[in-house]
Amino acid sequence: MRQARPYSGMFCGGVSVRTGPHALPLARIKKIMKRSAGETADGGARMISGEAPVVFSKACELFIAELTRRAWAATLDGKRRTVHKEDVATAVHNTDLFDFLVDVVMAVHHAAGGDDGDDAAALE
Amino acid sequence: MRRAVPDNGKIAKDAKESVQECVSEFISFVTSEASDKCMKEKRKTISGEDLIWSLGTLGFEEYVEALKHYLKLYREVSIKPPSVFSQSCLLLHSKVC
Repeated sequence: MRQARPYSGMFCGGVSVRTGPHALPLARIKKIMKRSAGETADGGARMISGEAPVVFSKACELFIAELTRRAWAATLDGKRRTVHKEDVATAVHNTDLFDFLVDVVMAVHHAAGGDDGDDAAALE
Repeated sequence: MRRAVPDNGKIAKDAKESVQECVSEFISFVTSEASDKCMKEKRKTISGEDLIWSLGTLGFEEYVEALKHYLKLYREVSIKPPSVFSQSCLLLHSKVC
């Protein structure tokens, strides 16, 4: 069977199926973008070009790779071989670039009933 | 995630969920910045370049060159003749079915 060419998946970006074994679903990316894109000055919905979710798909791959690598470093520091959400939180806290994720990892931690009395005090 | 971890490593379900939340926030974060840019420039549509610019502004400079190249290739592929377009869609269709 002939192998799909690297960018063949892009042609069907409008279809809500995964475009490859490692590609992120474009429809989901577009949904999140629409939620965050806000409105134009005349009150209309902000439009999103067809290429924008494709660019984001690649950007998210790079982002996931970097976050995971840093989380893995935290896993190794703890002399373990399985990455847990605490390692992801550690990676976020140790990286200035990921400051915007601090609340997200805290929310995940709280939802799981984590013990972070010190953090709660620091926020107040 | 799997590619970023060596073969002897594992990824717990809670870590995957956490990263998924982070990715959603990443998309929102960058999209807001790109949207603000469009508003200032009085444009309605967020383009790939707006996203790349926003990533650079928000500290993700390392991603910029790779994404510029990726966008360039995507645009080149997008303007290929219809026969190539159909072939690629057929390939994807057979893969999905």
